[in-house]
Amino acid sequence: MNRVFDKAESSAKGILIKNVSKVFFPANDDPVEALKPVNLDIAPGEFVAVIGPSGCGKSTLLNIVAGFEKATAGSVLVDGLRVEKPDIDRGMVFQQYALFPWLNVQQNVEFGLKQMKVPPEERQEIVSSFLKLVGLSDFANARIDSLSGGMKQRVALARVFCTNPSVILMDEPFGALDALTRSMLQKELLSIWQEYEKTVMLITHSVQEALVLANRIVVITSRPGKVKLNTKVDLPYPRDPKSAEFRELESEILEQLTDEIAKSYGGNSKVLIAD
Amino acid sequence: MPYLRRQLQGIVPYFLAGLAIIVVWQGAIEILHPSAAILPTPGATASTLWNLIATGELFTHVFASLSRVLLAWALAAVVAIPLGLIQGSNRRFESVFDPVVELFRPISPLAWIPLAILWFGIGESGKIFIIFIATFFPILLNTVSGVKSVDPVMIRAGRILGCDTSFKLFAKVILPAAMPTILVGLRIAFGTGWAAIIAAELVAAQEGLGFLISDGMEILRSDLVLAGMVVIGILGVMIDSVFRLAGRKVNWGAQP
Repeated sequence: MNRVFDKAESSAKGILIKNVSKVFFPANDDPVEALKPVNLDIAPGEFVAVIGPSGCGKSTLLNIVAGFEKATAGSVLVDGLRVEKPDIDRGMVFQQYALFPWLNVQQNVEFGLKQMKVPPEERQEIVSSFLKLVGLSDFANARIDSLSGGMKQRVALARVFCTNPSVILMDEPFGALDALTRSMLQKELLSIWQEYEKTVMLITHSVQEALVLANRIVVITSRPGKVKLNTKVDLPYPRDPKSAEFRELESEILEQLTDEIAKSYGGNSKVLIAD
Repeated sequence: MPYLRRQLQGIVPYFLAGLAIIVVWQGAIEILHPSAAILPTPGATASTLWNLIATGELFTHVFASLSRVLLAWALAAVVAIPLGLIQGSNRRFESVFDPVVELFRPISPLAWIPLAILWFGIGESGKIFIIFIATFFPILLNTVSGVKSVDPVMIRAGRILGCDTSFKLFAKVILPAAMPTILVGLRIAFGTGWAAIIAAELVAAQEGLGFLISDGMEILRSDLVLAGMVVIGILGVMIDSVFRLAGRKVNWGAQP
């Protein structure tokens, strides 16, 4: 193999997860297998939701794609490049918002652009257009701790989309929000995604959220996690959670998940996911 | 206006505390009838204090003490903050440095007086050294804990937003995130430094509030001793509130 091309292992765009497995080695304990070899292709522009019972390793998988954690074996390619460490080309939205409280809204959104050395005038332009997009134009100079949870996550969405990354990773982004705010933000995320045609990998524990947002759903088994179900969702947007097709799919996926949750509790008890 | 009102309301508890102390003080004198050399009355102390103010002598002492504390505190900050930043972010350095710190920390600044005299003589630098010792540890420990308690998710956010070197991450994320805790350390340190002026000025001082107190003790003027104590207490509270105010201006974090 030609060493020069070592880094670009594939010309495929999108996210390519190849045989990624993860074993944790706690200091005073037995090794824990978090992920069995996982294979997953995410095409450019696709919105993939990964669901699984808590502790199944879905966040670990996302952290490996982000470059925060190293896979024990296997590799992740994003646009043909092997993921070694975090990079601004892969944006991330965190459940805890992860905004910088010492900066105001404007400065938070512009943080990544500054690191990319985008000239100030252009930066200003980009930031104000994205603040407008998430409806926070009037809050450019607001302090982060004066914002509600929903507003914070809007700032985080503006921050991640404005650097124009090739993929966007989301770790239960709306998990800490109330139901109403959550569904509003889901709609906003959908419209931004449709406008910018980004590749999105979303981690969630909510089947409904996955079905509202994603055009593909991947179910991960309880620990050690592996892909149990990988199904396309062909329903047209915007999706109505009350429609018959939606409900049918929802119960189908819930059934798969319920089995997994029962397994992770070690019994055969039928535990339903309340969400 | 509401701002000023809140400030004024903040003074009320201190005023009441002062009043309570005077009542207890006067009460003790009424019951025990001690000689004026043992416990002067609040009135006598107040008139001594007024004399010190009227002659301008008090301001010489205050200025001497304040400038000593300020200089020693600034020196301690210059040394302790970088050390704390390294200790908080480098485990290997910490494993060596932390035990040293823990061994020195319980030693009172008073205990350093003999060595301060031997090393620096009886001049100004010995006094600065004593206060330096008193201010160094609060600054160091708060800086370390500030760096260590930076939310890991902030660090992740910084890394994925383009802080691709540890220096960038440190300058753009870790340092600003740790800043509120570092500022608290600086405030606490000024307080401990201010409390250490007695120790620092115990030896061959010509002026300063600590000198005023030890001099008063030698010439059996307990009214001078008490006047010095009152001034230290009041100025301590005032300096602390100045720090809190300044902290609120530059600080993004909630002030404790």
